[in-house]
Amino acid sequence: MKLSKESILGLIALGTFLLLALIAPGFLSSNNITSMMFQLPEFGLIALAMMVVIVTGGIDLSITYIAALSGVGAALMLTNGYGMLPAIIVAILFALACGAFNGFVISKIGVSPILVTLGTMVLFEGIILAITKGNSISGFSDGYSLIGNGYYLGLVPLSIVIFVLFAIITAILLSKTSWGRSVYMYGSNETATLFSGVKNSRVLMKVYLYASLLAAISAIIMTSRYNSVKVDLGSSYLLQSVAAAVLGGTNIHGGYGKVIGTVYAVMIFQFIRNGLNLLGFHSSLVDVVIGAILILVLAMNFFSDKFKKAAETRKAEKAA
Amino acid sequence: MKELLKQKEISILAIILLIGAVLSFVSPVFLTIGNFLDIIEGNVVLGILAIGMTLIIITSDIDVSVAAVTTAVAVSIGYLFTYLPDSWISVLLLFLIAPVIGLVMGLVNGLLVSIIEIPAIVVTLGTLNIIAGIVLYITNGNYINSTSFPKSFMEFANYELLGIPILIYLLAIVAIGTWYILKHTLIGRSVLAIGGNTQSSVRVGIDYKKVKLFVFAYMGVLAGIAAIAQTAYTKAVDPNGMLGLELTVIAAVVLGGANIHGGRGSVHGTLLGVLLLAIMQNGMILARIDTYWQNVVTGAIIVIAVSYDHISYKRSQDKLAKIEVEA
Amino acid sequence: MKKLYLLLIAALLLVGILAGCVAENSGSSDSEGEAEAGGAEGESAGGEEGLDIAVVPKLVGIPYFNASESGANEAGEDLEGVNVNYTGPTQADASAQVKVIEDLISKNVDVIAVAPNDPASVEPVLKKAKESGIHVMDWDTPADKELVDLSVKQVDDEEFGRHMAQKLVEAMGTEEGEIAILTGGLSAANLNLWIEAAQKEFDENYPGIEIVSEKIPTDEKQQVAYQKTLDLLKSYPDLKGVLAVSTPAPLGAAQAVQEEGLQDEVSVVGSALPTDSAPFLEDGSLDTAVLWDPGKLGYLTVALGQMLAEGEMPEDGQEIEGVGEITVKEDGKTVIMGPPADFTKENAADFDF
Repeated sequence: MKLSKESILGLIALGTFLLLALIAPGFLSSNNITSMMFQLPEFGLIALAMMVVIVTGGIDLSITYIAALSGVGAALMLTNGYGMLPAIIVAILFALACGAFNGFVISKIGVSPILVTLGTMVLFEGIILAITKGNSISGFSDGYSLIGNGYYLGLVPLSIVIFVLFAIITAILLSKTSWGRSVYMYGSNETATLFSGVKNSRVLMKVYLYASLLAAISAIIMTSRYNSVKVDLGSSYLLQSVAAAVLGGTNIHGGYGKVIGTVYAVMIFQFIRNGLNLLGFHSSLVDVVIGAILILVLAMNFFSDKFKKAAETRKAEKAA
Repeated sequence: MKELLKQKEISILAIILLIGAVLSFVSPVFLTIGNFLDIIEGNVVLGILAIGMTLIIITSDIDVSVAAVTTAVAVSIGYLFTYLPDSWISVLLLFLIAPVIGLVMGLVNGLLVSIIEIPAIVVTLGTLNIIAGIVLYITNGNYINSTSFPKSFMEFANYELLGIPILIYLLAIVAIGTWYILKHTLIGRSVLAIGGNTQSSVRVGIDYKKVKLFVFAYMGVLAGIAAIAQTAYTKAVDPNGMLGLELTVIAAVVLGGANIHGGRGSVHGTLLGVLLLAIMQNGMILARIDTYWQNVVTGAIIVIAVSYDHISYKRSQDKLAKIEVEA
Repeated sequence: MKKLYLLLIAALLLVGILAGCVAENSGSSDSEGEAEAGGAEGESAGGEEGLDIAVVPKLVGIPYFNASESGANEAGEDLEGVNVNYTGPTQADASAQVKVIEDLISKNVDVIAVAPNDPASVEPVLKKAKESGIHVMDWDTPADKELVDLSVKQVDDEEFGRHMAQKLVEAMGTEEGEIAILTGGLSAANLNLWIEAAQKEFDENYPGIEIVSEKIPTDEKQQVAYQKTLDLLKSYPDLKGVLAVSTPAPLGAAQAVQEEGLQDEVSVVGSALPTDSAPFLEDGSLDTAVLWDPGKLGYLTVALGQMLAEGEMPEDGQEIEGVGEITVKEDGKTVIMGPPADFTKENAADFDF
């Protein structure tokens, strides 16, 4: 029996977990497990957003600034005396507006995503700077801070429940709906998808809208957890989220990518970062380890693919 | 085909001229030779890296590790300075050593991309993390300042020929050299061919892997040269000084008309892209644009530029109704 | 249609979760109890091997925080029974810093001293640390006053900003003229405080000084500061002075002045380390660098951390070995290391940071 790419990754995640549990002091303490569950969701959601975009063969370099801008939206509402619900709605609306802008230029004008989002990255950052003057907005209600700091039913962090929920929704949307199928089709062959009667521009528009929605959820968790928002909120997640998506098996050229793979990748990053911190490694070495894992896992994928491909071509040749 | 390319570069030239016209209207300083030399000298590093990136993007790949590689070479130069004697030979030696260090790192990227066939963005994302992490671990971010530099290097850094700083000549040499390689050598023609249509170029006998390896190795060499330029320009080595430069490099290349999906791109187009970014940076203070709105303006110009460019490209494509590839 | 159902179900689930959360709000106290137990365990473990003091900078890998790292480690060697753990994020990112602190809580250290990137963002995690029985203090940049047991500051922000402004006017030799302000980043809270204080000083005492533009960000990079200063010199030919706040900015500004040969026309004053600024102080392109000894700050932080863990509080005028006399403000927990130090051509060589 052959294991899928994702299952292998899952085993790697499990292996990392067990290894760190053995060598890192306090890794298995309930305190540390809880704190990892608090740390994972914000990055996980951004990585999921990036994954959905990458499945279409695109990339969204503006995603972290969409999150930051959406966080600013929530913060402005909260500090001006509005309740949680309006704040959350405004956060989502801010993000959707950004996503719609990206989606419009990409799907209607047809500019390549990396170019558009490179521009909007600077643009959204600029808008946040113009609004906040670079200062942080902080001091939200206790109720709001429960989203990122509270426990669901007193057991697990609420934020991880939200993350799991959105991971499931994303998985269902991608695999069970016609939109999801069009996303994969578009990613593997744009022109063929168009000729098979799919409205490419609509599919793409929804992809960027959905990615920005996930960014907004991440922003709500982050603002709640950090009780504050600033122009660089989550900015370090940008390249990391691309790395997580591709480590999770997503094809950078589009057409393939599974939610569970990305989730495993996010977990691997989380375990390593936390474990190495507990072991007292210098922070810069954490980057080195993550970079090495990225290359190693993809090299492994290449060799296993090669065997498969070799087998397939042999079959194909026989058939021909 | 010639017309198509021209149009591509003309649209960016038009944007540059437009911004230039506005700036010279707003600020009397803009249209002075001194200001132009400053603008160009300040963007030599960006220019050299962007030229290398152009080749990679033509073959429809990308390299996000450039800034990290350049920093790594610059740091190595900084440490080397303590061992090098103070003479002109040291400076010459530097031009041998730095590109070689860059070349080694470029080859690592290139081998992983061509032999192991990992997508370039993943490889370079990985090497970015690894190289930047090691540099930070070793240097701990400490500056190496000019007090430890040999005098001969400082003389080189400040040298001017005919009133033009030496670094600008360096950029010119790299630009002309690369242009020549692309236009007149077999490997350069193969780069364009692979970017245009990988399958048919492989069929006509171009060694795909060799070309991929070449573009990343070449990028490494240029990163080595850029590291010398960076050290000469800032007269210090700051391990954090080029953080995030890779995105600016990519922006310059694609603004200059290279197609991120490969096949299209030219040295002069990229130089125009660098110029556009440089002028925007320079213009912000000259035009006295409010600090907090500068990024909004920059971002808006980039989005407008790429959209405008794409629209005019689509139009001309419709007119021609066929796709061709040429330098 | 199917999609609509899915969305509806998702929305319902979300509402359900939120309701569940609010209803079971008390749940968090459960785990608090757990955490406290963990903390107590940690302390007993710590008792055997001495005190674990964690010092968290805004980021690791920049000269300023390296200097404070060596100071902190030195204190760890000098003081008996103290283990210093100096760790921080590689980027000045608030969320990355919070994670570092969370991991430190898991490690059951005895004291956490943090230089917050964003004071508000570390609030929840510092609360968590306190609940786990960890002593919490801040250094370099203040966190929420209510939360910390002790706050260590190098200088008084107000005094520091005003001092830089005075030094600039002094260097310019005139109380009239145009000046520009460079800053490391628009969102750096302490830099903003200093700049505000400097602006106040100009407004109140030197009405002839005109600030030509909003503060200009330089991305914490010398090269950017250099280019921006070149542009400034061109577009404001009458510029008399540059106030450069953040450690790389004065170097870049001075480099521009040096290359244009304007040492006598344009004065540069800013916050920089003496070793880095030596080449520019030499020929007057940088007139005065104002800062403090970050190593001493690191040392003081650890020394006070030990006192805190042993149940003592510092007193005003107390002499701390290896640091000097400290000032304690009226609130009893804000410690000021001393007045800012001026680094000039004459004395820059005497310092090793």
